[in-house]
Amino acid sequence: MPVDFYMMPGSAPCRGVALTAKALGVPLVEHQTDLMKGEHMTPAYLKMNPQHTIPTINDNGFSLWESRAIQQYLADKYGKNDDLYPKDAAKRAVVHQRLYFDMGTLYLRFGEIYYPMMFGGAPKDAEKVKKFDEALGFLDGFLSESKWAAGDKLTIADHSLVASISTADAVGHDLSKFPNIVRWYADCKKTMVGYEEANAAGAKGFGDWFNSVVKA
Amino acid sequence: MASIVLYHFPPSAPCRFALMTARMLGLNVNIKLVNLLKKEQYEPEFLKINPQHSVPTITDDGFHLWESHAISTYLVGKYGRESGLYPLDLKLRASVDQQLYFDAVVLFQRIRALCVPFIYGTASSVPDDVKKGVVDAIDILDTSLSNKTWLVGDKITLADIANVATLCNAEVVGYDLSKHRNVADWFDRCKTTIKGFDENLKGVAEFGALVRANHPAPLFP
Repeated sequence: MPVDFYMMPGSAPCRGVALTAKALGVPLVEHQTDLMKGEHMTPAYLKMNPQHTIPTINDNGFSLWESRAIQQYLADKYGKNDDLYPKDAAKRAVVHQRLYFDMGTLYLRFGEIYYPMMFGGAPKDAEKVKKFDEALGFLDGFLSESKWAAGDKLTIADHSLVASISTADAVGHDLSKFPNIVRWYADCKKTMVGYEEANAAGAKGFGDWFNSVVKA
Repeated sequence: MASIVLYHFPPSAPCRFALMTARMLGLNVNIKLVNLLKKEQYEPEFLKINPQHSVPTITDDGFHLWESHAISTYLVGKYGRESGLYPLDLKLRASVDQQLYFDAVVLFQRIRALCVPFIYGTASSVPDDVKKGVVDAIDILDTSLSNKTWLVGDKITLADIANVATLCNAEVVGYDLSKHRNVADWFDRCKTTIKGFDENLKGVAEFGALVRANHPAPLFP
C-alpha cells in the first residue's frame, strides 16, 4: 500500500526520505506542500501534524514527521533485510549517531550560513563558514575510515547526509578540501537507487532558488 | 557486566539524559568528568575516543559512541529491550524517535541559543525573538502532551527523559512552566518516576549558576 508523503522537492530532509523510500522500493504518493502558501497550516494538515512541518508521512492512518524518524520507520517496516538499518545494537547506534550528527551539526550549521542569506539578505558570515567546515571535517574523518558513513554498507545515514551535502554543493559551497566526502559523494550518485529523481533534481532546484534570491 | 564509561559534564542536558537512561536501566556507570569550560574535550586521549569532541560519549567494552540520543537508544537496545523505554512496537518506537528529534533539533537548540551566550559571556541582553523561540517550542511540547500522561503511548519512554532533561535548563533560568498546564503536570510526573532525577537536578543547578554568573536576573521574568 502506498504511503502518503507531504513534501517540498527543495527541502533536504524531504529528499533524505525520498532516497530511503527508493532504496526500499516503497511507493510514495507525493503531496507537494508549499510552505510559502501556508499549505502546512490548513486544518487538515494540522490535524495530521500539529507541529506543521514537512516532511510528514501518512502510512494508512499512522502519521509521522521528522525526516530521520521517517527513514528509520520505513527501513524497519519495509526493509527486505537490515542492510539499510542494521539490527545489531552497535551498528544501529553508529547509524543513529550519524543521523543526529547530520541533523544537529552538519545540516544545522549549513542552515546557519545560508538561510539568513536567502531569507534575510544577510552577508556570508565567515565565522559560520568556519563552523560548517569543521562539521564537514568531522564527516570527512568518518568517511576516511569506511566506505559509507556508518560502515562498509550503505545505510539510511548516507541518504540523510547526501541530501545535506548535495544541498551545500548546489549553493556552491566548496567541498574540494574534503577528499573523502568528494569520493563518497560520487559513490552516492552512482550507487543510490533513483538518485536523480529523489535527490539531484530537488537539490538543483534549491540551488537555483538560492542563486535567484542571493545574487539578484 | 563490565561498567560503561560515561564522559560527562553535569550542566549539559544531553549528558544528563544519557545518565538518567542508564539509571533507569540500573546499569553500572563509571563517570568521567569532562569540563567543557576548561576545554578538557580537546585532550588528545579524548579526541582519540571521539574526534567530534562532544559529550556525552560512552565507551562500552571498547565501543565508542556519542550523541545522547544514539547512546540512550543503544543502551536500551543492548541492556533493556523489554524495559519499554524504547518500545519494540514499530509505530510507538517511530513516535519516540520523532520526539527525540524534536528534543535534539527544536527544544534543545532553542534553549541553547538563549542560554549558552551567557555562559560564555558573549551576550548581555536577552533577544525577544530567541526567547519567543523557546516559548513556541514549549507550546509544541504542551500540544504533544494534551490528554496524555506521557509523550508516547501510556508509559514513560526515552522521549520523556530526553525532553525533560532539556526542559530543566529552561526552568532553572526562570521559565515558569505553570503557563503550560500539560507540561507542568508532566514535569511533576517525570520528577517522581525517573530514577536519578535528583542527581540530574544537581547538574541543572550547575547550569543555572553558570548562566547567572553572567546574567544574575532570570532570563524569563
